[in-house]
Amino acid sequence: MTPPNRGRRLAPGGRRTIMTALLLTSIVITPAFGHHVGSYVPRDNEISANFKQIKFSLQAEKFDVARRLFEEGALRRELQKQAATLPPGLESSIRGALASHDTNTAEAGLMVFFAALVRGLALETDRQLADASVPAAARVAGGGKMLEAIWRYYNLVDFAVSQRDPRAAAAVRLAFDEAEGYVKAPTPAPEHMRPPIVTIARVLAGVIEASSPSARRNS
Amino acid sequence: MIEPTWRLPPIPVLLVGIVLIACAETGGGAMAQFKLELARWARGTMLARPEVHGLVGVRDVDEQILDEALVKLDGGLRLFHLHAEGMGTIIIVTTMVATSLVVRSTLRRTIVALITVGGAVYPLGYLLWSAVIPYRGIAGGKQLAEWLVWIPFGSAAIIAMWLLAGSIAWQWLDRRSAR
Repeated sequence: MTPPNRGRRLAPGGRRTIMTALLLTSIVITPAFGHHVGSYVPRDNEISANFKQIKFSLQAEKFDVARRLFEEGALRRELQKQAATLPPGLESSIRGALASHDTNTAEAGLMVFFAALVRGLALETDRQLADASVPAAARVAGGGKMLEAIWRYYNLVDFAVSQRDPRAAAAVRLAFDEAEGYVKAPTPAPEHMRPPIVTIARVLAGVIEASSPSARRNS
Repeated sequence: MIEPTWRLPPIPVLLVGIVLIACAETGGGAMAQFKLELARWARGTMLARPEVHGLVGVRDVDEQILDEALVKLDGGLRLFHLHAEGMGTIIIVTTMVATSLVVRSTLRRTIVALITVGGAVYPLGYLLWSAVIPYRGIAGGKQLAEWLVWIPFGSAAIIAMWLLAGSIAWQWLDRRSAR
């Protein structure tokens, strides 16, 4: 009896050959999914670059250089621009410390300035996260970018904050980690991101208060 | 039988290789010449599309985003310059090897066609990526360049290289066993 015609079928050996060819092709072209697209290392902006110059000059006890870098640099310009949100007398306190070769007070003043910048960014982040007119995913993505900026500034003074208030430094780092966790969460939840951001702003407000020139004069 | 001398690939293939190298050189020169204009154009285009780039209206955040996009755009142009120079040379050399050593004509033509098309179009993916970064962002532009250019034409070039390597190895082993 003739077997029913099932159309042309490949012999097992032929099928094996095709499968092997497909497997080899897929292995061979896998590298095509990776491309050289370069890498990006965030650069200092003029404020953070100026801060590092001043800090290194202070550490090398080159006070004249530090004073000149402060007087002519972007940090002081920003400090003047933000004067309304900063503790009164901050600029004169830093200038006086540089003139009297008081590294500790100068560092404290610079720390207060960056803590204030971070606090401002944290408050702005909280405001943007609360904006219900923007889709939740976009708010979380924007919050993530704000967190990066917060960390870039806070990282500059983390050591100085740790020296003066270790509990505050730990609280800021924990809150940052928590907020960052929500950025990476599979479901965007901007409302969950807000409490740690508010914590960062609140803790740094305390650091600013305790380290501001008027508080140091009263202590 | 393997020919004892090198043979030239078809003239259009050589022309593609040479034109690609010429484009690489022109691109490299233009990139340096118009760096400022390109950066200004890209910055303006990106600022007009804040949602695409995730700009949040805070200078400390947005400057970093714009800087990264500009660095990547510049990187794309540099990678085009480098890849076009390299692939132009690769097209000329490997098609000459294929024309000289691969005996089977269908396989030879396939290898030459895949190397020429894959090698010539692959570097253009970097130009495409750079051009669309201001409009679609870094990731969006990369995705477009990947699926339109890098993956199909990169795969073609890789397959061609392995076919060439395999066929040369096969012929060599065949000759050894025939002795």
